[in-house]
Amino acid sequence: MSDSPDLPMMDPGAAEAIRCADCARSDSLVRDLDPVDVMPISPEALQGFPDGVPRARGMDRRSFLRTGAIGMASVYAATQIDWTRAFEAAVAEGADPANQVVMIFLNGGNDGLNTVVPNGEYAAYLAARPGLARIQGPSTATQVGSTIMPGTGDQHAWANVGISGVGNNGDTRGFDTLWGDGSGGAGSDLAVWPAADYTPANRSHFDSRDYWFAGALQKMSTGWLGRWLDKYGSADNPLQAISLDSSISKQIRTAKAPVSAVQSLNGVEFRVDGVATNLVNTTEQMAPLSLVGAGADNIELAKAREVYGRTVQVSRSLRSLAGAPAAGGYPASNLSQRLQLAATLLSANLGTKAITIDWGSFDTHGNQLQSQDPQLTTLSRALAAFKADLTARGIEGRVLTLVFSEFGRRVETNEGGTDHGAGGLMMAMGSAVRGGMRGDFPGLTVLDRGDLRVTTDFRSVYSSIVGEWLGGEPGAVIPGGPFPLAGGALIG
Amino acid sequence: MVDRLTWRAGFGPSEASRAALKGLSLHKAVDRLIAAPQGPLSGPEPVHNDGTPLKPLESDTDLVLAWCDRMVRTGNPLVERLTFFWHRHFATSRQDVSPPQLMTNQNDLMRRYSDYAANPTANFRQLVYEVGEGPAMLRFLTGENSTKRAINENYGRELMELFCLGVTNAAGQPNYTETDVREAARATSGWQIDDENPDAAVGYFNRSRWDDGQKTVLGKTGAFSHREVVDVVLSHPSHAPFLVTKLWHEFIPTAPSPATLRDLTRVYTRSGFRLKPLVRRILTHPAMLDSIKEPNMIKPPIVQAVGAMRALGMGITDDTLFQVLGAMGQTPYFPPTVAGWEGGTAWLNTNTALARFSLANRLLAKQYATLPTKAPEDVPGETPVQAFQRAHAAVGRPWLAKGTISSLRYYSANAKAVSANDRIARQRVLRAFMLGGPDAQVM
Repeated sequence: MSDSPDLPMMDPGAAEAIRCADCARSDSLVRDLDPVDVMPISPEALQGFPDGVPRARGMDRRSFLRTGAIGMASVYAATQIDWTRAFEAAVAEGADPANQVVMIFLNGGNDGLNTVVPNGEYAAYLAARPGLARIQGPSTATQVGSTIMPGTGDQHAWANVGISGVGNNGDTRGFDTLWGDGSGGAGSDLAVWPAADYTPANRSHFDSRDYWFAGALQKMSTGWLGRWLDKYGSADNPLQAISLDSSISKQIRTAKAPVSAVQSLNGVEFRVDGVATNLVNTTEQMAPLSLVGAGADNIELAKAREVYGRTVQVSRSLRSLAGAPAAGGYPASNLSQRLQLAATLLSANLGTKAITIDWGSFDTHGNQLQSQDPQLTTLSRALAAFKADLTARGIEGRVLTLVFSEFGRRVETNEGGTDHGAGGLMMAMGSAVRGGMRGDFPGLTVLDRGDLRVTTDFRSVYSSIVGEWLGGEPGAVIPGGPFPLAGGALIG
Repeated sequence: MVDRLTWRAGFGPSEASRAALKGLSLHKAVDRLIAAPQGPLSGPEPVHNDGTPLKPLESDTDLVLAWCDRMVRTGNPLVERLTFFWHRHFATSRQDVSPPQLMTNQNDLMRRYSDYAANPTANFRQLVYEVGEGPAMLRFLTGENSTKRAINENYGRELMELFCLGVTNAAGQPNYTETDVREAARATSGWQIDDENPDAAVGYFNRSRWDDGQKTVLGKTGAFSHREVVDVVLSHPSHAPFLVTKLWHEFIPTAPSPATLRDLTRVYTRSGFRLKPLVRRILTHPAMLDSIKEPNMIKPPIVQAVGAMRALGMGITDDTLFQVLGAMGQTPYFPPTVAGWEGGTAWLNTNTALARFSLANRLLAKQYATLPTKAPEDVPGETPVQAFQRAHAAVGRPWLAKGTISSLRYYSANAKAVSANDRIARQRVLRAFMLGGPDAQVM
């Protein structure tokens, strides 16, 4: 190994996003909840089932113990987990693959109006956003253009940085290829809600995130997916919901069901320069130091020793193993790395029902074009690549990907950027989804304190995911309902 | 006591500081730290691995290393610890702030509010004024773009949420409303940056861009300017407990009792928001010595890294420190968000544990490379206990739990020690484990 541990989740924001000041504060992850254990992930599990035939190929406990693991999941649960039992639970559930959701959270408040342009009210849009608005038609050297969305989107236009083609996102795929003809029929695999949020909007990043993650207009100790897992999920399988982050997302925070956070499948060692491993296995030598007891109240020392011990465990599991193969076709980005990992995990028959990804830096108070545009390019290409990856693995039909942000942004520019607003853009991707423009556009004439009026309560989409996709009673998961989805079923 | 104080209020003990503070009461030792001048930096100037000097304004790596160097070589580490505290509190990132002089000038500003030998009356109100009107904050929170025609709420929000009040009070009630944010943002409009000469960049007030109308903030109404709205915010009853608690947790992991919080709040408010009496009150509180026999606070990466350099008597001769700080999750001048770094047990996970061990390993390897033997000395007749003791002294005699000592002595006694290579390896392992093991992560 090298001296610098591989930290795939820590570097990339820098490269692909100009981090805006206010918010990329990742408290959207739960950090006050400590994992109770670390669970190994079998390499055989991660080989997946590319032919789409679900079968637990030789994945019994004996072969698992023989082959070791190639990844580790931090396990969060109310009680200590017996990982062999948990693994068996994962295998048992994996034998009956169910629908899965991937939640991509665009951190910071994505500006929907510059992603999907309100072309039907273009003059008002242009007037509100001098210097920031997209032009109509092809992009020029200095300005990003926009392209009318076919079918149900005919009053809207994609910002060209998110659609396929040279001079646009530079790839053969993008929002436009996912959108297709926008009819909701075959090949129309992207649903768009142009003003999804809650009312009255609270423009704080933190409150808004908490509401979106809780699936309720109040702070709750559990997330909406967490409550679904408590009621309908597994009592044993921490891989049923995975945050591809250093900590779990509040979306999957549960009262009792175990969930996990997986950051990387790469292995690591405690190495001392100049000391050959065959003379002293320094990683193993660390184990006794991690087992020294600490005073009952000494939480921080206990934590230090526990983490060192867990690292030894991880190293043991990873030592003899190579990395999992990743699919190609993705743009170079941190989001891609995580979607590749998601595809691997989703196809591995581990009983995974939900994956969360917290990505990006969309708090564009200033320098919006320089910050948001490259991220939209990355997002459009990565989503399309992810869908192709899932298709190649034969599981695309059972994965629904939801893209959301904590709020939309103010209609009027503040010179260079936009402040916190309401009525954000939400998208759902998947061939199972009925695509097209699924929510009403509230118009730019009548605003709510300068923001879009909310036409889609985000809880109506969540309720449909519960009722139509994951399975369960929406009212048992999303409080305050019912929240019927305008325009009919989400799936179909 | 000396090790506790020098870690919590500095970057760990040197043999000199251990000798200087030995036998003093906590009060006397704290008084000495607070009163000590920064003094000249001691030891060789920092250099690149090719021996050339750092160029902090041309390279961000050098920018970070230059501050680390100051922490390593300062005569009064408390000043640098407090400067870093203000950097965490009013977090601004070089990632969004150019030219770099804006960051270094802000750093100097924060240091003035941390050096109580030079500035015994330094107070928080004046600090907020100066930070808020400084070009680094104006650029970072895009306040320079906020005009009466296009009010930008960024700074107005953080002034209350992160800098002065917090979202809610102790009873969980909101300290302010969205309207307060908007109104405060109106008051703070109109500030711009003159950075034509980057070395002398300043924020300046452009009245024509300022919203000069009446604002109502936290129940008070007036045609408030930036300083006036700061005064309104600081008059909120939640301010003192908020600031006091945050400063407390820089030094002490457990929460202050209600009585202690009242006492600290009184000290702070009665002095007119002066910082020296508050810092002194916290550092002399008996809670500083809680769990004195078994350290109970995780060292932030910057403290761990600079402390290891000081323990080994090393200076900056390449970019190792920059690399390991990134891997440990704390690069000065690059806070991840405007809320700074989270800290506490959140510092530790599998990745950062490896990075923390790697810090010790790499610094030791660098140190060995400067020796004629390119390795720790081989002492052929050395007993296992002697090997343990030599290693412990070589890394600055850090705290080790009894169980850890037993474990390392057991290793020392059972490690192969037939050849010189065996014995040198034993010495390498012992030192790395003492400097980079789990016990070294707490203070």
